[in-house]
Amino acid sequence: MRGRRYTTVSGWLLAPAALFLIVFFVIPLIANMDKSIALSSIMGPGREQTPYTKLFTDPFYLSVIAQTVVLSVGVSVLCLLTGYPVAFYLVRHAGRWSGIVIFMLIAPLLTSIIMRTFGWRVLFARRGLFNEALLNLGWIERPVEFLNGPVPAVVGLVHVLVPFMVLSIAAVLRNIDPRLEESARLLGASRWKTFAKVTLPLSLDGIGSGSIIVFLLANGSFVTLLLLGGGYLQTLPLLIYQQFNTTQDFAFAAAMSNVLLAVAVICLYSQLRILRRRGVRSL
Amino acid sequence: MTGEAMAHFWEHTGSRLALATYVALFFIFLLAPILIVVAVSFSSTSFVAFPPQGFSLKWYYRFFEYKPFIDSFIVSIEIAVLSAGLGALIGVPAALVLARNQVPFANAIMAFLLAPLSVPLIVLGFALLFYLSRLGFGVSFSSLLIAHTVVSIPYIVRTVAGVYRGVAQEFEESAAILGASRWQVFRHVTLPMIKPGILAGTLFAVLISVDNLPISYFFGSAATNTLPVVMLSYLENQFDPSVAAASTIQLVLAVAGLVFLERAYGLQRIGTPN
Repeated sequence: MRGRRYTTVSGWLLAPAALFLIVFFVIPLIANMDKSIALSSIMGPGREQTPYTKLFTDPFYLSVIAQTVVLSVGVSVLCLLTGYPVAFYLVRHAGRWSGIVIFMLIAPLLTSIIMRTFGWRVLFARRGLFNEALLNLGWIERPVEFLNGPVPAVVGLVHVLVPFMVLSIAAVLRNIDPRLEESARLLGASRWKTFAKVTLPLSLDGIGSGSIIVFLLANGSFVTLLLLGGGYLQTLPLLIYQQFNTTQDFAFAAAMSNVLLAVAVICLYSQLRILRRRGVRSL
Repeated sequence: MTGEAMAHFWEHTGSRLALATYVALFFIFLLAPILIVVAVSFSSTSFVAFPPQGFSLKWYYRFFEYKPFIDSFIVSIEIAVLSAGLGALIGVPAALVLARNQVPFANAIMAFLLAPLSVPLIVLGFALLFYLSRLGFGVSFSSLLIAHTVVSIPYIVRTVAGVYRGVAQEFEESAAILGASRWQVFRHVTLPMIKPGILAGTLFAVLISVDNLPISYFFGSAATNTLPVVMLSYLENQFDPSVAAASTIQLVLAVAGLVFLERAYGLQRIGTPN
């Protein structure tokens, strides 16, 4: 019979962490909701609507909310498509190189987000490497203004977030018994069929947790959009930053941050539901 | 070789080769922007060009001469170390309690302690700024420290709980049976076993804090600007290689930390979340 588990620490040691987060995490978020509602009832000169009516009726802000969601979902899908093969390679084929592969995956995470964004700006610039290469190849006649479109921002976001996807998927793939794949192959399944019917379903868990991490981080990011977006993409975090920085309409910024938080929570909840329905248990 | 064997050979080697080529391209994509910034930081021109022209260290001198850079660099390091330390002090005991499910609702409490990870940081920063101002902290070093600690706790709790779960409790039981007091068991048995987790979690928290622009941005003043905040405002006005030099210095320090972690703990286990 197994008795009570031995414990060195008393349950009360939870108190500091729980208290700290209640005081400096839960209450501020609640206060923020309260403030946006309280402030929004004050109508002054230059404000005809409450922030929330403005957010949900003005077509510009509706498109901002839509862009925030579409961008986060799109970046998650791109990270999944580009990252999965790398995770597969890392677990199944890298062998003694796996230490170096992991190092190269983590190294970008240790660099400043400004450094990575700066690098892409150099590459995408009007006289940057990409334009020079395309000009030399004769594919274009005049430099392309990459930085005025959505491409650099999306590339930058995928670049920043794809390591999280690879590491999440690799963690799950590592626990899949390769003999399952071998059995499918021996029983006559093609390489693709083995992958589609055995490996992929078993790795859904990693795909799920990776997508959630990438989605949440993409949903809140503004540095990449600020430095690479060229004003082409407008998302909630970017507008919050701008409201705070220039317009200083704090009630409106508070309202936007609550909507952003709601978007994050709703998407997180629905992703968890979809994943659970597909039989992913560990989430 | 028969046709069938040939086809088999190509299916096998061909797809492996394709995968390896793809992975090589992926890492070029991943590392290129970083290597380019390092290269640009050594250029001698005052505009950013790639490939860089000339070689000089003048942008590194500029980093150490330009007061906002060096001041904010010091603030960044102080905040990172203090918030990770405070996070460990608060988070490690909680992780120990939760790893062994010794309280009711342990899973729910764990989810709560990890919750700051799923809130967009810009929302947290914004909310905390107004809340802490109302409490009288205002834009100060303590506000910045509190905000960074909120983010460091989840990283530390998750890493330490993960390590402690993998430790057999028989060691602690044996020590207790042999007459060690609770404190002695903790000090001489538990602590050495979870030390790699504390180290990894704290280092993670330090690295996250140093680059935590969305939080630091809201608490910016001459005395509380962190390095990324200064770099961002610098980049909005001018585009010269000194930001590249600052980034490279930060990169070197982070890689040194990672190498230290690898020696102490092994990367294999840190790379896997949870």
